[in-house]
Amino acid sequence: MSQSISLRDAERKVFHTAVNDGLWDIFLGCFFLMFAITPFLSERLGDFWSSVIFLPFWGLVYLAIRFVRKHVITPRLGSVKFGASRNAILMRFNLVMLVVNLIALVLGLIAASLTSRIPGQATSIALGLVLLAAFSFAAYFLGIGRLYIYALLLGLAPPIGEWLWVNHLTSHHGYPVTFGVISGIMILTGIMLLLRLLRSYQAARDDFQADGG
Amino acid sequence: MARTEVEPDLHPLVEIDQVIHASARLMVLTYLYVVESADYIFLKNMTGLTWGNLATHLNKLEETGYIKSAKSFQGKKPHTTIYLTERGRQAFQEYKRSMQQVLDDLPD
Repeated sequence: MSQSISLRDAERKVFHTAVNDGLWDIFLGCFFLMFAITPFLSERLGDFWSSVIFLPFWGLVYLAIRFVRKHVITPRLGSVKFGASRNAILMRFNLVMLVVNLIALVLGLIAASLTSRIPGQATSIALGLVLLAAFSFAAYFLGIGRLYIYALLLGLAPPIGEWLWVNHLTSHHGYPVTFGVISGIMILTGIMLLLRLLRSYQAARDDFQADGG
Repeated sequence: MARTEVEPDLHPLVEIDQVIHASARLMVLTYLYVVESADYIFLKNMTGLTWGNLATHLNKLEETGYIKSAKSFQGKKPHTTIYLTERGRQAFQEYKRSMQQVLDDLPD
């Protein structure tokens, strides 16, 4: 046997098989779609309501994802509960994400209270850095390579959008263009992963599930 | 005349757990070792075994007491979850140690 056996690789393979169904990509894509659409809605609804209106949309997307996972993914892929080592990694990941989100919240509150005194480019760079950090940490802890690409794209989106806006190439700080493109990439990636999974795995017959063979 | 006695230096090989040593069962145990539990479908996908093969190997492992299965219902559908027992975990660790020892001692 020329291939080395690594328990760590086996665990990683299990985790990646279980989470690479594309559903999270679709959900994240729908989330960042808000950044692209909200600027248009805020003209009529105001900043608060233009964001709140997305809550039921995300709720629907989340329910749809749960439905697809339960009725489409699990019958094909099966189900697994991760072991202590993976749970420890996920715990560390959640803690880091909590810290990043708290930092983002504080920066957001500062930006909101000092809107007129902070240059637009500084706000966009700060937002870009927060997104870059959050997705880089996620890529590192979860070991999912494409999240580094998302991190880079999301990190660049606000400053590039701001630059487009300053140069009168787009409206609304360029967010509809930059975040629209990125959320489109995420949703398309998710759909491709989902389709690949559906092609690769056939749904198991009920009698096999019943007695295991 | 064939020798029936085992060379003392090869004793670790004789002591290798033959239940685990079969490649299919080794695969199953490796995956169960790194997770808390998994169902039949997941194990089938990970190992690439057929349903019949997988069931046979899981029966063998269950008879030996290395794994246990828990039956439940997901809605109206029955669902079987498989997990490694403490005995199975120890046996796997012992197998790993034995194999490492045997392979480390082999000359290049």
